[in-house]
Amino acid sequence: MMFILLLLPNILPDRKFIQYNDDQLREAALSKGMKPIPKNYDEYLKVIDNTDNILTKEKVALGKKLYFDKSLSKNKDVSCATCHMINKNSNEDVLLKSLTTSSDIRNCASCHIKENSGTDRLSTAVGTSGAQNPYHLNTMTVLNTSLAKYLTWSGEISSVEEEAGASIQSPFKMNMSPKEINQRLNSNTKYIEEFNNAFKTHSSLQSSANYENTKIALGAYIRILLTRGSYDRFLDGDNDAINAKAKKGLASFINLGCKGCHTGMSVGGQVLKRFPLKNFISQNDIGFNFPFILSDNSFPFDNVGGFLGKDNDHYFRVPMLRNVTRTSPYFHNGSVFKIKEAVRIMGQNQIGINLTDTKIDEIVEFLKTLEGDIVDYSKDIKSNKESL
Amino acid sequence: MKTLSIKIFIIFMFISGILLLDIFTIQWENYKNISLIHIFISIILMVIFIIPFVNKHIYKYIVIKKVNDYNGWLLGFLLLSITVSGFYLFLIGNRGGDLFGIISFNTHLYGSLLLAISLVMHIKNKITTNAVISIFLLMGISPVQLHSVEFTKLKTDQNDNSHHNKDWTNSAKCKSCHGDIFKQWANSNHKNLAESNPYYMVLEGLAGEVEGDDFRQWCMGCHNPSGLTTGLKMSGHAMNGNFLKDLIFEKNAQTLVEGFKKYGPTKLEEGVGCVTCHRITKVDSFGNASYTVELNNRKKYPFEDSHSRITQYLGEKLINANPTIHKESYSNKLYKKSSYCASCHDESSPITGKKIVSTFKEWEKSSYNSPDNPKENKNCIDCHMTYLKNGKFSPKSGYSTDGGNLKKDIKVHYFAGSNHFLSGLKSKESENQTLQLLRTAAKLDVDIKNNKIYVGVKNVGAGHHLPTGAADFRELWLEITLKNSTGKVIFSSGKLKADGDLTEDARLFRKVFGDKDGLPVGLLFWKYEKLLSDTRIPAGERRVETYNIPNNLSYPLSITVQLNFRIYPQWVTNAVAKIYPQLPSPPVIELKKIEKKFIK
Repeated sequence: MMFILLLLPNILPDRKFIQYNDDQLREAALSKGMKPIPKNYDEYLKVIDNTDNILTKEKVALGKKLYFDKSLSKNKDVSCATCHMINKNSNEDVLLKSLTTSSDIRNCASCHIKENSGTDRLSTAVGTSGAQNPYHLNTMTVLNTSLAKYLTWSGEISSVEEEAGASIQSPFKMNMSPKEINQRLNSNTKYIEEFNNAFKTHSSLQSSANYENTKIALGAYIRILLTRGSYDRFLDGDNDAINAKAKKGLASFINLGCKGCHTGMSVGGQVLKRFPLKNFISQNDIGFNFPFILSDNSFPFDNVGGFLGKDNDHYFRVPMLRNVTRTSPYFHNGSVFKIKEAVRIMGQNQIGINLTDTKIDEIVEFLKTLEGDIVDYSKDIKSNKESL
Repeated sequence: MKTLSIKIFIIFMFISGILLLDIFTIQWENYKNISLIHIFISIILMVIFIIPFVNKHIYKYIVIKKVNDYNGWLLGFLLLSITVSGFYLFLIGNRGGDLFGIISFNTHLYGSLLLAISLVMHIKNKITTNAVISIFLLMGISPVQLHSVEFTKLKTDQNDNSHHNKDWTNSAKCKSCHGDIFKQWANSNHKNLAESNPYYMVLEGLAGEVEGDDFRQWCMGCHNPSGLTTGLKMSGHAMNGNFLKDLIFEKNAQTLVEGFKKYGPTKLEEGVGCVTCHRITKVDSFGNASYTVELNNRKKYPFEDSHSRITQYLGEKLINANPTIHKESYSNKLYKKSSYCASCHDESSPITGKKIVSTFKEWEKSSYNSPDNPKENKNCIDCHMTYLKNGKFSPKSGYSTDGGNLKKDIKVHYFAGSNHFLSGLKSKESENQTLQLLRTAAKLDVDIKNNKIYVGVKNVGAGHHLPTGAADFRELWLEITLKNSTGKVIFSSGKLKADGDLTEDARLFRKVFGDKDGLPVGLLFWKYEKLLSDTRIPAGERRVETYNIPNNLSYPLSITVQLNFRIYPQWVTNAVAKIYPQLPSPPVIELKKIEKKFIK
C-alpha cells in the first residue's frame, strides 16, 4: 500500500495548464477590456472621452491650487491633499524637512507623501477638526478616479466634479456650505482673478469664484491625475516591462475571473458588486456551494463602523486596483492591512477559490505592476488663448 | 490467513521504521513521507488489528491450550515495550532532556530488531514468512522516485527576492519549544531592528527619500532581510486602526505571536528572526549583509508549515520524536566565529565606500583575536551571548529547548551590546544584561598636578573600540566636577544643558563624519566621506584627558569623575520623536565613577 502511494506521483500525469506566451497574454488582457493609460496628452484626448469639463491650462492650474488649499475646509485645517495625499513639490525632501525644521506636516505624511498614493493610508478618513467618518470608511485614492464610472464606496456618485462638491459639503470632510465657499473665495482677490481667467469672465464686476466653478476646476485637475506604470508599458508592447512572476499573476487575474469586475482602463470602478459574494463554506474546500446560498451577511473581517454598502444591501463599488499596493489598508473600513491577506479574502469570498500561497504571491506581484507615477499632461494642455 | 496478515503488518512497520535509520541516508522528501507513514499506519494497524489479535492469540494458546512458549512470551513482551516506547516517542518525544526519551528511543530501535528475529523463530510456517519478508525487502530496496528533482535543484537560494513569506519561518513558531530563548530574543535588539525601532524606521525613510527608494535595500539587508527577500520595497509597520501600533514598549513580541496565531506561517515576520541567523550557511566578513541564508534548501519536517491546530501539533510531535535533523538544520559551527557576526556588524557606505562601522575589523586587530591562545581568544558570543550576573560573566546553565539537554553555558539571546535603551523599554532584565556588560568595558583614574586634571580612561573589557558600532550616534563622555575646600564648584565639564544636549566643552569619545565638503553629516550618515575626528579608545588602550584648572585653589580639593554613556544624542531623539511622539528620551547612564580628595 505504502509503495503504491509513493509511486502515485510518478504514475499520474501532470496537469496541463494553458501557457500563454507574452504576446498571447497581452492579447488576452486587451481583449478583456484592460487598457493602458495614455502616454501623452494627445493620446489622452483621443482615448478619453470628456466633453463635460473641457480642460484648459488655466482651469487645471486653478484646480491644483484649490486642491492644496486648506481654506476650503471649515477650520482651515485640511485640504483635499490632506487625505488624498499628493506631493506638491516632487523635488522636496519632506521627511528631512520635517525632521530638521518645524514643519506642519502630519506624522504619517512625512514618510508617506512621497509615495503619491492619493490616499492617506489610514483606516478611517479624518476630516476637518478631526472628524472621523461615521461609517469608519477608508479614504479612496484620488488617482485615476476620472476613469471610474462610479465613485465612493457605495458608488452613488458618477463624476469627479460631483464628488469634489460632495467632499466639500460633507460634515466629516471639509464641512463647508456653497455659500461659505463663495464668501471665502471672494474675500481673496487673487482667486477672483484666477477664476475669472479660467472661466473666461471678462467683466470686472462679475466674479466666477463660486462653489460650482470650484467643483469644475477641482475636477479638471483630478482628471489629469492618471498614473502609468510597468503594466501599461507591458500593454503597450514592452515584454520586459513586467517579470515572469507578474505575468503569471496577470494570467491568473484573467483566468480566475478577477478581471470580470476589476476591469477597464482603471482596473476597477466600473460596476457595483455584492461583497462578500459567497459564503465560503467554513473557509475550506469541503462541501458544495449551492447557488441558493449565495449571500452571506458576514464580512470576512471585523466590520467596524457597520457600513453595509449601497442601500444596506452589501453592494459596493468595485475598487480600482491601480496603485493598490500603495493604498493599504484595504476594504471599506481599512480592516485588512496586508495585500496578500486582501487577495486571499477576495479569492475566497468573491470567486470562491482557496488561492494557494504561490498564486497569491503571483497575483500580488502583478498588482505591484499597477503602481505608477502621475503622468505629466499639464504641459501640453492648451491654454484659453490657444483653444480659441 | 489472519496470522499471515498480522505478520505482514508487523513486517511493514518494521521495515518502514528501519528505513528511518541514519545509515540508509534516504532523500529527505522520501524520508519525511516514510516517517509519517510509519507513525500513522502503525498506530492504525496496532489499534485495529494487532492488539485485538494478540489478545485473542494469548487467550487461545495460554489460557485454553496451555502452551508455554518462551519465545512467545518474549515476543509479547517486546511488542508491548515497542508499542509503549513508540507512543512515548510520538507523544512526548526524544528531546534529549529526559531519560525516558532516550530509553524509549533505544527500546524502540533495538527492540524492533529483536522482535523481527523472534517473530521468525516464533512462526511455524517459515517458508511463507521468509517469502513475505524477502518480497518486502526487495520492494524496499527498489528505488522509489518522488518529485524530488525540484528539491535538489534548489541548492542555491532564490536570488530574485521572490521568496514566499512561508520560507521565513516565523519566530513565533519556534516559541512553542524554545520558550526561554524566544523570550530573551523577543525583547532584544535583534528582534527590534525594523518596525519596532523608531530610530531605524525614520532613518530608513530618510535614506529612501534622499537617495531614492532602492537605497533602502542597503538598510534592509541587515535590518529586514525577510522583507527584502519577499519583495518588499520598504519596511512596513503594524497599525492599530488609524494609529501606529505602539511596539516600542511591547513585551515578548506580542504582536508577532498574535499575528502568527491569526494568519499562520503566511504572516511575514519583518526584522531579524530565528531563521535569519540560524539558516546562514555562508558568510563573507565584508559587512553590508554579506551572508547567505538558505531557506529552501532545508529539511523541513512534515506539517512544519501547517497552520491548523492539529497539523501544528503533529508537526511539533514529529520534530520531538526525532530532533536530530531539526538540530542539524539550524546549527552550524560557523555560528561561534566572529566572522559570522561581521557580515552585518561591519558596514560601509554604498555611495562613498567609506567604512561606517568596523567593529569586526577592530576586534580582528585586538588581542582578543588570538586563535593560538585559547585563554585569551574571545569571540563575539563569548561576551555578547554569555549571561552576566552581578557585573561578571557567569555562564548560565539552562535549557535551550523545553525538556531538552541541560547545557552548562547556554548562549543567551539577550544580545547585550550597548543599546540598553530600546530593549529596556520592553524588559528590565534585558536592559540589565546590557548595562552590566557596558560597565565591564572601562576603567577610570584621576590625578591633579600643576593646575591640571589628568583623567585616564582605559578600555579594559571591550574587544573593539569604545564606543563601536554606529559610533557617530553614541555619546560616551567624561563628566567632571571639581570642588574646593568650601564645597564650591570651581570647575566642571561634560554637563547636560537644559535642552538635553551636551555642553560644548564635553570630552566625547566618538567618531565624527563629514560629507564630501567636510561638513558634519548629521542624520545622513551614509554621506560620510571625510573623517572629521576619531576619539574612540581601541581595545586595551588608555587615553588621558587633560583639563586646565584655575590657579590659587584652596585645598583640599574633591573631584568627581564620571564616565557617562547615552545611546543616542538628544538631537537625534528629538528628530525621531517628531514622527514617533511617544518615544521617550534615552537616559544618561553612569558607567564608572570615582571620587577623590587631593590635599595639596
